[in-house]
Amino acid sequence: MKHLQLLVLFLFFVASLQAQQKKTVDFIGGARSYMSNSQLSVQDSLPDTTTLKRNTGGYALIDLGVNIRPNDKTEIMGMFRIRNEYGGFWGAGVSFDVRQLWLKGIIGNVVRYQLGDLNLKQTPFTLHNNRFQLLDSMPSVFQLQQNIISYEKFYTNNTWRQQGANVDMGLSFNKYIQSMDVNAYITRLRATDFNAIPDRLLGGFTIAIKQTARRSFGLHKVSTFDLKGTVLDSNMYSNNVTTVFAQQDVFIKNHLSTFKLELGNSVAKYSHDAFAPVLKDYFIHAHMHVVAPNNKWESTLAYLNVGPDFRSVGAQSMNINFQASTNYYNSYANDKLSRPLSIMDLVRSENIYTTGVTSNLMRPSLAYNAILPYGLATFNRIGAYWKASYNGFKSVGLQATVYKLSEVRGQGTTQLKQFLQAEVQSTFKLHELMSTKKPFLFQAGFRFQNTQRTGRVAVEDVDLKSLALQAGCTYEFAPKLQVIGGLIWFQSKGNDFQADRNVYTTVDYYTNQKMDVAQQMTALGLKCNFSPKSYITALYQSVNYKDKLLVMPDYTMNQFLLIYNMTF
Amino acid sequence: MKKIILIATCFLGFTFLSCRKDATKIDGPSIEELYSSFKMLANFKANKDSVDFASGATVGFSATFNKIVSWKITITGTTSKARKVFSGQSKSIDAASTVWNGTTTYFPLFAAENCIAKLTIDGVMDTFQVPIKIKNTRVINTSLVIADYENGFNPAWVKFVQTGANMDFNIKSDSSKVQGNSYLNMAGTVNWDWLIGLIDYPASAYSTTSNTLNLNANPDAVYFNCLVYGVPNTNMSKVLFQFKEDENADGVFNANNEDEYAFNIDVTWTGWKLVSIKYSDITALVNGQPVTPKGNSIHNPNKIGKISMLHLADKALGAAACKIDFICFTSAPLEL
Repeated sequence: MKHLQLLVLFLFFVASLQAQQKKTVDFIGGARSYMSNSQLSVQDSLPDTTTLKRNTGGYALIDLGVNIRPNDKTEIMGMFRIRNEYGGFWGAGVSFDVRQLWLKGIIGNVVRYQLGDLNLKQTPFTLHNNRFQLLDSMPSVFQLQQNIISYEKFYTNNTWRQQGANVDMGLSFNKYIQSMDVNAYITRLRATDFNAIPDRLLGGFTIAIKQTARRSFGLHKVSTFDLKGTVLDSNMYSNNVTTVFAQQDVFIKNHLSTFKLELGNSVAKYSHDAFAPVLKDYFIHAHMHVVAPNNKWESTLAYLNVGPDFRSVGAQSMNINFQASTNYYNSYANDKLSRPLSIMDLVRSENIYTTGVTSNLMRPSLAYNAILPYGLATFNRIGAYWKASYNGFKSVGLQATVYKLSEVRGQGTTQLKQFLQAEVQSTFKLHELMSTKKPFLFQAGFRFQNTQRTGRVAVEDVDLKSLALQAGCTYEFAPKLQVIGGLIWFQSKGNDFQADRNVYTTVDYYTNQKMDVAQQMTALGLKCNFSPKSYITALYQSVNYKDKLLVMPDYTMNQFLLIYNMTF
Repeated sequence: MKKIILIATCFLGFTFLSCRKDATKIDGPSIEELYSSFKMLANFKANKDSVDFASGATVGFSATFNKIVSWKITITGTTSKARKVFSGQSKSIDAASTVWNGTTTYFPLFAAENCIAKLTIDGVMDTFQVPIKIKNTRVINTSLVIADYENGFNPAWVKFVQTGANMDFNIKSDSSKVQGNSYLNMAGTVNWDWLIGLIDYPASAYSTTSNTLNLNANPDAVYFNCLVYGVPNTNMSKVLFQFKEDENADGVFNANNEDEYAFNIDVTWTGWKLVSIKYSDITALVNGQPVTPKGNSIHNPNKIGKISMLHLADKALGAAACKIDFICFTSAPLEL
């Protein structure tokens, strides 16, 4: 109630300000209503009589943000969220939060600054949100659920949402170089408990120099470090990553070709821990990007070499926690087993997605991504990759990616794993191909991953394959009314060794994971687009999880969803 | 064209430079070892079959395996049933790192007796054992023993016991003994007060010439220790020790202008447990909360005039019981 009174007072103040000074205050935000009805069925050797099979619920929320510009050099943003769980009334189930708060401005027309919430990104090796994606492109019926997670977790353009301060400035020159941009930031990763856990901060800077319109180079630096004095213990962690980069654009037979090179090193250590190793290593990432003169195709060929001891907290944070609890049905079967994540959880469960950089190395999932769990910054990888897209056919778009990598250093053996990932995605504008007026989009694609190792002895052998297939369509049968549907089929089969890492991120043990899991998720729904920024949709979706090795009981989960979403 | 050649050369150069040469190194433990079947490469053995701990002698154990394993050595006294446990995760057990000096992990204390050291390994059904004979137990170094109850009740001690039900504030010598042959049993039901009983240990019980205990003046070099037994299936006991400093050495403790420090032990466990605390870490308490002491606010272990030991229990809960033994001061945390 106290919060509500504060909100009313704040809005009154803002309204007064708006009345006095026109065009200095804008309201932005969004609203959503989310209703779900889920049903679980478990195929166990004994009938599951302990798990509650039905789950119904949902919420309504409104995000109300006020963007205030008290003068032409200052901008303030505050956003509140009021959320009410369905079934709550007169305050029960209601939460009131501050969702965003930042202030930015310009000092002396030279230095721009921002305080509070920041969206930060540098390079894939320094600070980068390597967003987990089972597939590069998903059918729109699943993508709209992923978009809700992206909104909730502030995932925009591979940035991480952090809290702190950021300054940047740009300088222009007449001789030798055209311009220089400098950006620096400092954020707090973790708060102290005033006992054993020190404050952990993340800070860094970028200096980018543009020599000519086609040539640039620069430096990135990012440091994660414990703040001395925030606990009595003098043992402090630090992780420093320094990289240099250069870029050159040239025309080769009218093809715009961009050569990019980034290389750097990292050091991760504890100051006063005799057991902690000092991990030092380097990486090299060089790639050539070529665009056809008519823009019909573009292609990238790259070389990647990331050392086994390369550690970068800002780049190796995963945005999905495979050990986290889901929104529903965390345990199942008579033995109250921890339910393994399904692709439906990956598509719609907000709880397993993280909001910011995590200070510890997270455990990847071999089943979903054994090759690049930490994106390009995945340590112990060497090899090449190729990406291409083609828009030459009328109404058809094609993208392909191939990674061919291997380990640099053996994991528990001197033999190295070999990795292959191939992905193809396609989109078809069927209404153009069939010359009809009602928009009809179809998309299809697959991702294949293969991890192989032939050991010196049979126990070291690794053979893990995963295949994800997707298809989806969107048909607008009446103005603003669409039928949306999609299918994802995923199988992960074989074995690989999961590294159990200690707090120093070195390996203590290897667990041989054997798996043969097949999953199928289907969805069908109706969507009404009121405007580009608002829609309502009713969906029915189902996932079938089948473990052929009988490690975990099979299950089927069905869901009906009614979602209203708008932004303003 | 020159630019292209230059860029391509740089690319190839960096690629060449980035070739790594640590192919013989591996990350983590060897998978071949981890997943091979267990083999004992060198038998489990002790470096002596009898030991005189009183003379400072020790026993070391050794064994070698074909892979890293989680192992545990349990030494059990055949008479006392005292146990000493070592555990670790390694490919070998080294006589230099697993050194037994006669101390105990699970009470009572070891006696002069025959012992069996048993090695168990996670995931391995077989056990391996060696016999060891203790010729003499280790000497426990103390600065001052306040009470070990071996010689009965010291007449200088002052005992007060409430008149509740089933009151027992007596020295006993039975199978529950932990150090020596005797201990103090404290039990009863007092449903109108927290206090069940108390014993005052005045300095006069230990010296006829001084009003204070003969301890080091440095509170960082004085440790207070005792053995406390939690009785299973009874309500939680509290054992409160009050250290009353006679700062002016007049033989009288004045609560209004002299320091009183208190150490409260909530007996939340069952069986015997060694409790040890540095004197400088003991605070003044009122109703269980730290307060500023009323004297010079300096820990003066050499000015302790009296130690009061109170056995307390929540009056609403009913009966409470615990046992206590070997109340002593040492210059380092007591090791038994």
